Amino acid sequence: MSDLLGRNYQPGEDIVTEGEVGDCMYVIQQGSAEVIRTEDGVATVVDTMVAGDLFGEMAILEHTVRSSTVRAVDPVRALTIDRKTFLRRIQEDPSLALSILDVMCRRVRNLDTTIAHLKHQLAELSANPEGGSPDGSPGENAP
Amino acid sequence: MHDTKDASTKPGEQGHEKVEEEAVRILTDPGSWAKHGSGTDEEGPRSETNGDSDNWKLQPGNRVAVIGGGPAGSLFSQFLLKTMAHLDIDIDVEIYEPRDFNFCGPAGCNHCGGVVSESLIQILGTEGVVLPEEVVQRGIDSYVMHMDVGSVRIETPLQEKRIAAVYRGNGPRQSEPASIAGFDHHLISLARSAGAKVRQQMVTEVDLDEGRPRITCADGHRQTYDLLVVASGVNSALLGLIEKSGLEFKAPTAVKSFVAEFKLGAATIERSFGTSMHVFLLDIPRLQFAALIPKGEYLTLVMLGDDVDQELVESFLNAPEVRSCFPGNRPPDNACQCFPRLNLSHVRRPFADRVVFIGDSGVARLYKDGIGSAYRTAKAAANCVALHGISARDFHYHYWPACKKIAIDNLLGRCVFGFCHLLQKLRFARRSVMRMTVIEQRTEGAIPHMSSVLWDVFTGSAPYREVLFRTLHPFFLGRLIWNLLAANAWKSGRRNRELSTP
Amino acid sequence: MKSEELTETDRTDEADFVFKPVRPVQSEGQAPCQLNCPCSTNIRDWIAPIAQREHTGASLREAYEEAWTRIVDHNPFPAVMGRICPHPCESGCNRIGKDGNVSVSALERFLGDWALEQKLRLPRLDRESRDESVAVVGAGPAGLSYAYQMARRGYRVKVFDWHPEAGGMLRYGVPKYRLPRSVLDAEIARITELGVELCLGVRIGTDLSLEELKADHQLLFLGLGTQQGRLMNIPGENGASVWVGTDFLERYNEGHALSLGEHLVVIGGGNTAIDVARTGRRSGARVTVLYRRQLEEMPAIDSEIRHAREEGVDFEDLATPLEISRDASGALRGLTVQRLHPGKQDDDGRHVPQAIPGDTYYLDASAVVIAISQVTDWTGLEDAESMAGAETTRQPDSRLTLGGDVLRLGIASQAIAEGRKCAEQARGEPPNSLLADKTLPTVKVDHYAGADSVNLTEALPDERLLSPDLETSHTISENEFLAEVQRCLSCGSCLGCYQCWMYCNAGSFTPLEQGGPGQYFSFDSDLCEGCGKCIELCPCGYLSPK
Repeated sequence: MSDLLGRNYQPGEDIVTEGEVGDCMYVIQQGSAEVIRTEDGVATVVDTMVAGDLFGEMAILEHTVRSSTVRAVDPVRALTIDRKTFLRRIQEDPSLALSILDVMCRRVRNLDTTIAHLKHQLAELSANPEGGSPDGSPGENAP
Repeated sequence: MHDTKDASTKPGEQGHEKVEEEAVRILTDPGSWAKHGSGTDEEGPRSETNGDSDNWKLQPGNRVAVIGGGPAGSLFSQFLLKTMAHLDIDIDVEIYEPRDFNFCGPAGCNHCGGVVSESLIQILGTEGVVLPEEVVQRGIDSYVMHMDVGSVRIETPLQEKRIAAVYRGNGPRQSEPASIAGFDHHLISLARSAGAKVRQQMVTEVDLDEGRPRITCADGHRQTYDLLVVASGVNSALLGLIEKSGLEFKAPTAVKSFVAEFKLGAATIERSFGTSMHVFLLDIPRLQFAALIPKGEYLTLVMLGDDVDQELVESFLNAPEVRSCFPGNRPPDNACQCFPRLNLSHVRRPFADRVVFIGDSGVARLYKDGIGSAYRTAKAAANCVALHGISARDFHYHYWPACKKIAIDNLLGRCVFGFCHLLQKLRFARRSVMRMTVIEQRTEGAIPHMSSVLWDVFTGSAPYREVLFRTLHPFFLGRLIWNLLAANAWKSGRRNRELSTP
Repeated sequence: MKSEELTETDRTDEADFVFKPVRPVQSEGQAPCQLNCPCSTNIRDWIAPIAQREHTGASLREAYEEAWTRIVDHNPFPAVMGRICPHPCESGCNRIGKDGNVSVSALERFLGDWALEQKLRLPRLDRESRDESVAVVGAGPAGLSYAYQMARRGYRVKVFDWHPEAGGMLRYGVPKYRLPRSVLDAEIARITELGVELCLGVRIGTDLSLEELKADHQLLFLGLGTQQGRLMNIPGENGASVWVGTDFLERYNEGHALSLGEHLVVIGGGNTAIDVARTGRRSGARVTVLYRRQLEEMPAIDSEIRHAREEGVDFEDLATPLEISRDASGALRGLTVQRLHPGKQDDDGRHVPQAIPGDTYYLDASAVVIAISQVTDWTGLEDAESMAGAETTRQPDSRLTLGGDVLRLGIASQAIAEGRKCAEQARGEPPNSLLADKTLPTVKVDHYAGADSVNLTEALPDERLLSPDLETSHTISENEFLAEVQRCLSCGSCLGCYQCWMYCNAGSFTPLEQGGPGQYFSFDSDLCEGCGKCIELCPCGYLSPK
């Protein structure tokens, strides 16, 4: 694996850390990683990434800090994509942005599903405060 | 690592002046490009007289022929089919590629050094093209620059392997095909899974059939298409055929380079070359640039220069700086070797109604990152075909700018390589560059002025324009002049030698 | 291949590195099919004009004619041989490991039939006629082949045979369901059209002496077959209802009805035995074949054995008769059969069966045909008999030549070859079949697109038994023929694939104005850069490393 493209991360190692300034995005070449968001000191896994998945694009586009932590689950090999390279190519070939839009669309759709799911569970909880949720815990990520 | 243009590029001689002249003309009058190509003036009327614009768009059920299944042809097919699928238009794409990239040796090879550049790796990643383990023979993370005054290692700024050394076929002659997969094979498989049909047939004739391109194969197969995409590169006789076909087309001038693969064994390569590409700037007449690229069991030699021939190969491989890189102080006798052609000039007008030339058949990046320019022309042509149309006018406005950009950058690239050539000639200049780089690489936190320029020149990851402007920066020049003085004073000359580490 | 690891100390060579070019040489290689053909027919080269007609611009008819002319140069019986020859050429085909051999038999048969339909005439080699007259004894494949080769060279040829019709074993040995007589008649008629005179019903040695023949003719050729079947020397074999294979087939093929009764037992495993068995089935008898070795060692053609099975012939291997028993009236009742075990292999790899002591059984039978071996009938030709064992078939001081199965029992193709070789020798020509010095080329089978072999169709077994003369297998259609022709790899001979020309960076290859099968490009070694790409791209092995 040492001769292959990208950089290697050990299981548990952070690829990006929430709150840090970033100027690149990542494509996973091998392995899988969790997207972890910390809210009020509680870390929640919000998504899982596998080979071919792209992440970290928000920091490139928005020029803000990383919104969540991405942590290797098993040994991960990931390739970084520089902001400069990426933006320069997008200038030349705007259709390249389509692949980023694809990623973001999928993510928004996932988010919608999760929100709907959570709202539904909240409504059930407030209607029937005694009984537990009939299916799964509220913290579980939507499919 | 594909494209050499050299015969007309003898820096300091008249070829160089011509280049500069042309550069000035292009930079000051971009419109001159339109007038340059034969018949460009008729472009507008030609398409307009042909009536409604739907005629010049691909319709459902239309047929597209792609000649050549190298990176340009495969990527074009993949991009076009994906975009057309987005638009809900079903078309047939047929790739004519007579060779099977599963073959070892030249029969399955597309003849180049097989380096996928840093920038291309990143863009392919964004496009969703992941190069699998068996395709990447070695990830490259550093360069070692060898000169007569010493050697220096230039590390990647990121501690990450972002350059891929790949095979363009299924490995060199006599290699074991089991665990190897060629880069071209991988890309053509992606095109196939995107819906392209691969025809293992050799095209021997191209002509027009009532305004539509028609293809004839060696086995007698004949078919008319709505669009013809020529992605044959410059290493086959095909472009010569097209010149004779009645299409207004003049093949680019090609120049000889040399590629050889030496079998050294994985452990030897690991020990002697590691994950570094070794670049040589030696004062050998006619030699422009040479590199050794470690790949699995093999070491690939690439030589670019002024009509590289047997004699030049021998004088390079017998140079002490080169010999010392090999175990036993000598390269092995038997190698898988050939003299692939690189295009030296872009095609003046790489398109016509219903015909477009992509990759090396049209325009390629100077010396470096030929696969990168194959990608860029393929993408631009696919976008033009899918979103604009297939008339010469469409290609002129929506495809040609991408080619022009590469062509203009190549002119600047010639200046960059002119400097490199000067460096090879002048020992005191070599000393100063070596000193400056060595100190930058030794000093933690130093701003890598020279290192980054050399990195970008060798890896081809930044446009030549950027490299050139960086060298013209006053700070860079200041450092260079200082090092020029320091390196050539007799005392620091010794220090420089001490600093030089392979 | 194990990766060879070199260490720094392994080798320190101060000699200069020298560039080693890999350059091609254009050289025709030996096609394995021709090598395997007893008649040395240049199969590749007769397929080429048809397969490569796109390149030569020849019409289909021109291509067919060219191909047929090339076949008959070696063998005047393509329609016959396309049917009955076991085609050893096919077993050498380089395509076998890929998707099955080229079906040369089907191709030859199609072309042979086409030529008969078109009434093509056999081409003469010499326009002038010669004064010498030639006598041929025996109108079988060897004799007719010799007669044809001499006649087309301008000789006056007379062929003598004691049978009422010409063809020898082709007529009196091969059953009609394998070779319709119309096909045989037509191909023989083509030879007589060249001026060959047939003197049938004349037995040399009794009707006409060898000396008389020598007096009348300048050259004499004895194309003798092996019509005399051998018996086994077992009790009961002399008497009614026991035949030797050759006699049995000859009588049957002459149209004599044979009364076989209910159960025919055939002894032997060669083609004669199988022909007898299948003929027996067509007469309505139950048939069992006894063979002393194991089934897989049977020398008969595999497809013939398969056809026999389809038609209901039973096979018992590792069995040999000890005695044929008859009742008081002499009528055949059955056989005592000895079981054998395979035994050890001899030098040729064949097993030598050994009797298993005491293991015998009794088999009811109404008729027995012994088809174990056959020899030449020398009656009246005793003078020539001594030649059969001689090193050369043509005595230096004699005008007499000998050829055919008499030399060594083989397939018809071999007899045809003997006839041709003798004719070439008589003329002092270098043998047409010369395969000297050509090496087997390295054919890159993977470079060719896959294509399935032609599907050969046959009449159903029931139909075959209902009409005994119905031909078992069919001639392929023209479309099938053209597809099968394209499967030929053209081993060792340039087929105009353009690979070398297309990918030679140096432009060393130039298409020839008059290019055709065998060579389409000229090669300029001065331009060659020595990369060797062309050698690896050349699919047929025509280009090889210098």
